[in-house]
Amino acid sequence: MRQLFIDIFFFGDRPHFERIGFLIFIIIVLVFPWMVTSAYGRAVMIKFLLFALFGLGWNLIGGYGGQVDLGQAKNVGFGAYATALMMVWWKTPFWITVIPGIVIAAAESFAVAYPMFRLKGHYFAIATLCVALVWKELFIFWDWTGGARGVEIPIRSGADFVYMQFNSPIYYHYFILFLFLLQFFFVNWFRKSKLGYEVQAVRDNEDAAASLGINVYRTKVINYTIAGGLGALGGSFMAVYYLYIDPDAVMPLDLSILIAMTVMVGGAGSIWGPIIGAAILIPLDMYLGAWLGAQKRLGIDFMIYAMIMMVIAAKEPKGVWGIIERVRKKGAR
Amino acid sequence: MELAVQLIVYGILMGLVFSLIALGLSLIFGVMNIVNFAHGEFMMVGMYIAYLLSTFLPLDPLLSLPFAAGAGYLLGVVSYRLLIHHILRGPMVAQLFGTFGLMLFLRYLAMYIFTPDVRSVKQGILVGKTLSMGWINVDASKVFSAGVCVLAFAAVYWMIYRTKLGRALRATSIDSEAAKYMGIDTKGMNALAWGIGGATVALAGALLAHFYYVTPTVGMLFTLIAFATVALGGFGSIVGAFIAGVLIGLIMVVSGQFVSELKFSFIYIVYFLVVVFRPRGLFGW
Repeated sequence: MRQLFIDIFFFGDRPHFERIGFLIFIIIVLVFPWMVTSAYGRAVMIKFLLFALFGLGWNLIGGYGGQVDLGQAKNVGFGAYATALMMVWWKTPFWITVIPGIVIAAAESFAVAYPMFRLKGHYFAIATLCVALVWKELFIFWDWTGGARGVEIPIRSGADFVYMQFNSPIYYHYFILFLFLLQFFFVNWFRKSKLGYEVQAVRDNEDAAASLGINVYRTKVINYTIAGGLGALGGSFMAVYYLYIDPDAVMPLDLSILIAMTVMVGGAGSIWGPIIGAAILIPLDMYLGAWLGAQKRLGIDFMIYAMIMMVIAAKEPKGVWGIIERVRKKGAR
Repeated sequence: MELAVQLIVYGILMGLVFSLIALGLSLIFGVMNIVNFAHGEFMMVGMYIAYLLSTFLPLDPLLSLPFAAGAGYLLGVVSYRLLIHHILRGPMVAQLFGTFGLMLFLRYLAMYIFTPDVRSVKQGILVGKTLSMGWINVDASKVFSAGVCVLAFAAVYWMIYRTKLGRALRATSIDSEAAKYMGIDTKGMNALAWGIGGATVALAGALLAHFYYVTPTVGMLFTLIAFATVALGGFGSIVGAFIAGVLIGLIMVVSGQFVSELKFSFIYIVYFLVVVFRPRGLFGW
């Protein structure tokens, strides 16, 4: 029990400066809503935490697992739709809708993972993309999901902790922070668990991992299933935060790409990577997008994104975290 | 019956265009084992060139074909020299994100220049004309496009299998190291593959612009269609791409007739089924 507690909440294996960095980060996000009063700044912070959360989930499969998944948006969609539809149909409280969202996303991931992990590399990446696009077309096609019109969640007045609807972004800030920390500590446990080590061993060298008695196929499938379930959690939050969802908002290809990119830019396979990546890309996106949108200059923000992506791919595939690590190793020598 | 024949003819004509689109993807994959996510965006560039030349110059869109092919060639070679060359040795993830970045860059560059408006080529000898053969009616532009696609395909096939340059290209594709020791400029061959890939797909784009709308986001769909085509034909197989293109065209048109909202889903499902159950495709090795 004590060991489990340590595994979840401690970073004993990480160097000193990382632990201090994390502490500073936590303090900043805790006091943030009291320091920044502009609604826009708070919205940026909420979106940052949301994408850091998405990134943590994707990092399992894309970072620790080394399998490029370009379909995480489908899991976000499952979570968002489970929450929204159950709230509309049966007025189910938020915390209960989270569970079917995660279960559906995990079950679907498990089902498609079985055939999909016969594939490797590019084939796998394109297959994940195809699966996600089929789901999006189905959600537009079906009537019971609201089709292309989407789903609107009835608005409630006041602060409601059952349906998680609030008037003030401060509540949403701590709400998403709670979910983020939940997922963060789960991933912190995961990376040190037996499965976590197996997943990383498979990423580094499949044949060597297999020779040590690791069931490569099974490890990948379980890892993909867990990553799928984690994606749904953020989706549920999106449903109650935006109060309106449609397939273009919660399951587009761009979302899958942005999630994967957050992790790639920050540093795949590191627990800090998704946080760093989201801290770079989300403010860039929000402020640049707002500023350029005001000037009617569509597309420049994505062009900058794309250039970051190409430079990272060509020069530093390990992302910003890779650069930090290298600088530190040089300093230590 | 009439409808069935009409659908089949239409499907084959679309399929021949898909074949030409898939050709470049297959070639690039065959030579250097890299998947180009920006493939559809190269095609979009060809479409915009046809659109620009036919709208702002008194030039028939047919005359824009060589310009589109030339621009595609340049785009391919420049992308190779500036980006692909640097990511080739990196891990697979980096390759994927590199070409993905290229795709986003081209797409949003088009968005910036042309705005997201949907455009179409309005003037031209073939635009809007219909050919009637007995009781079958087909767009003249589609028949012409399919014809050009077959010719272009044959030309590339001839170049690869009948010329010395093509032999060098094939040698690079089989074993790049060994080819280098034999004095083949493998970097040049890689660039050539990207050039041919860009030229053929941009040519297909200029043809497609005759009867398909032009938007900055049109590329992704065709990239995925090309993936499905190449997977079905077998990655790296030129003949496979040709036959698979026709099959994919038929699948799309026939399924679109019954459930038009899901016609692209059928293509994704074909990709999924093929790579899972027969990863080497119909003609791959």
